[in-house]
Amino acid sequence: MSVATARSEARADDAAESPALVVEGLTTSIRIERHWFDAVRDVSFDVHRRETLALVGESGCGKSLTALSVMGLLPAGVGRVTRGRIVVDGVEMTGASDAQVQAMRGDRIGMVFQEPMTSLNPVLPVGYQIAESLVEHRGMGNREARLRALELMELVRIPAAAERLDAYPHQFSGGMRQRVMIAIALACAPKVLIADEPTTALDVTIQAQVLALLADLQRREGLAVLLITHNLGVVASVADRVMVMYGGDVVETAPVDEFFRRPTHPYSEALLAAMPRVDRSSDSLAPIPGQVPGLPELPSGCRFQSRCALRVARCAERPPLAALADAPTHGVRCWVRAPETP
Amino acid sequence: MSAPDALLEVRGLGKTFQERRGWPVPKTVAVRAIDSVSFDVARGEALGIVGESGCGKSTVARACLRLVAPDAGSVRFDGVDVTAASSSALRVLRRRMQIVFQDPASALDPRQRIADAIGEPIRVHGIARGSAVEAAVVRLLDEVGLPAAAARRYPHEFSGGQRQRIGIARALALGPDLVFADEPVSALDVSVQAQILVLLDQLRARRHLAFVFISHDLGVVRHFCQRVAVMYLGRLVEEGPVPQIFEAPLHPYTRLLKASSPIPDPERAVAQQLQEGEPPSPVNPPSGCHFHPRCPHAMAHCSSVVPPLVEVAPGRRVACHLYPAAAPTGVV
Repeated sequence: MSVATARSEARADDAAESPALVVEGLTTSIRIERHWFDAVRDVSFDVHRRETLALVGESGCGKSLTALSVMGLLPAGVGRVTRGRIVVDGVEMTGASDAQVQAMRGDRIGMVFQEPMTSLNPVLPVGYQIAESLVEHRGMGNREARLRALELMELVRIPAAAERLDAYPHQFSGGMRQRVMIAIALACAPKVLIADEPTTALDVTIQAQVLALLADLQRREGLAVLLITHNLGVVASVADRVMVMYGGDVVETAPVDEFFRRPTHPYSEALLAAMPRVDRSSDSLAPIPGQVPGLPELPSGCRFQSRCALRVARCAERPPLAALADAPTHGVRCWVRAPETP
Repeated sequence: MSAPDALLEVRGLGKTFQERRGWPVPKTVAVRAIDSVSFDVARGEALGIVGESGCGKSTVARACLRLVAPDAGSVRFDGVDVTAASSSALRVLRRRMQIVFQDPASALDPRQRIADAIGEPIRVHGIARGSAVEAAVVRLLDEVGLPAAAARRYPHEFSGGQRQRIGIARALALGPDLVFADEPVSALDVSVQAQILVLLDQLRARRHLAFVFISHDLGVVRHFCQRVAVMYLGRLVEEGPVPQIFEAPLHPYTRLLKASSPIPDPERAVAQQLQEGEPPSPVNPPSGCHFHPRCPHAMAHCSSVVPPLVEVAPGRRVACHLYPAAAPTGVV
């Protein structure tokens, strides 16, 4: 039995409950000069407790915008959710007031970003920053919140936590800062954790530690994790399911074992072939020709058609995300590779 | 080591930076960025230098080029002592040793057209004049896969991958024999990264270029390099041919690096130990073998005796008390 199968079986009991995060038909638009472009098109997924869904893709594919949409953190006037529903822990976020969204954020849904140094306040002690959301969302007194902050620092395994409660972010290494961010995200015991490239800025040995910590916390706290990453190696290590995005579209979605056994969308396949691997010698890499077009230049049908070797006339029309005939949980948005569906 | 055809010979290279730290009363602290680093690079060979942030890998490149002055050891390029070269001799040497940086956006002047960015070194070194410079620029652009029209444009008009091609064209302008590439593909997306790696492969073959390729990504180094040197806190801990080092790493740090590098295969998840090893600060490195506090095989004398870098098999050197030297040889 593979690691991933073990992971998905471990959460089989949780699948019966309603998912902790549901996103349905999410479309997010971005304004470039005077025009609005769909940067995320009709994205749907759900994440159960104890499950990790990885959202993968290269710069500009819409993966971070999807996360910001869920968090209600799109910059006003530049980005907006134009269609779709977001339900967090049974609570409808769509159409909620700013105050309601703010009450959810940091309480039922936590977020960890790529660069902890820019997310932490450099002039406040870390203990204070961890305690802040407990005072805000849980109405705790300062003393109580401070004790809980200490517990959280111990939970994320910051050594000598008691002595470092009053230390400032610059006194921590990159890996320790990311642990502080995780402690802040988990302070109010959220149901959903969104981790946007949480280990990208870290060295590989520290990345392995932070991934292990996240996996351990997820098991203990029963978190639903939406992991956003560009690194397919990280996906293979920690995810239960994968969603590949390109040009704002989900082009492929599958359980992690199934995805790596047979990546089916031409883009997923090309991405894996372009990746130099540490575990085997690769004499020839197969780069994907061209580059990701800018939002205004994206073709209207299949977004990948301009770089695709399998392009046919029908690609001018947008293919549906269709399940493969022999694998109902494996969806592919491609006329050529997933043809037998209506 | 010391191959007869070595293009670059680095012996006992050291650099200590003085840093003022602290508040309200700053103190001067010494940061030993590189400590007795020795290696060779043969003509047409790509040597990878891997290690994590702060291990000194970028300082090695800068010290070899004398962009920072090393304070110990020697660097010889094609038999010429770089460390002792006069400024005019250095000018000549720098035609043959060039560097490509990680972030081409910050290495290019935003107000300089590409024609000038690439043409400037050609003019300054008196290699060509007038319209011959333009022709040379167009040839270089073509060599890195950019259209001639790119010459009239500015850096911001290009994507990250295209800017890295421009950075490479500029490094090639003087016809170097050796290129230091400092994380040249780290800022790029996977699909574009592969394009640049393929370009570098072609250039190495066509121009018989040697590379010192600095990267934190073991996969990229495995693909591009023939030999690899692993650094930890300023010291070289292991060195050898790429296939052997990747198939059978000896130093416990090399093994940890390899085990921590994610592989796109769910059957082989990264080793997720909950060990608390944090890379110690280069300001205050551990005594003896710098790696001993994180090492699963640490012995009593690891914290007091610095293991020498010894040859354990032909062409393979490792600095670890677990591996005694194969036979006493004249290794530096």
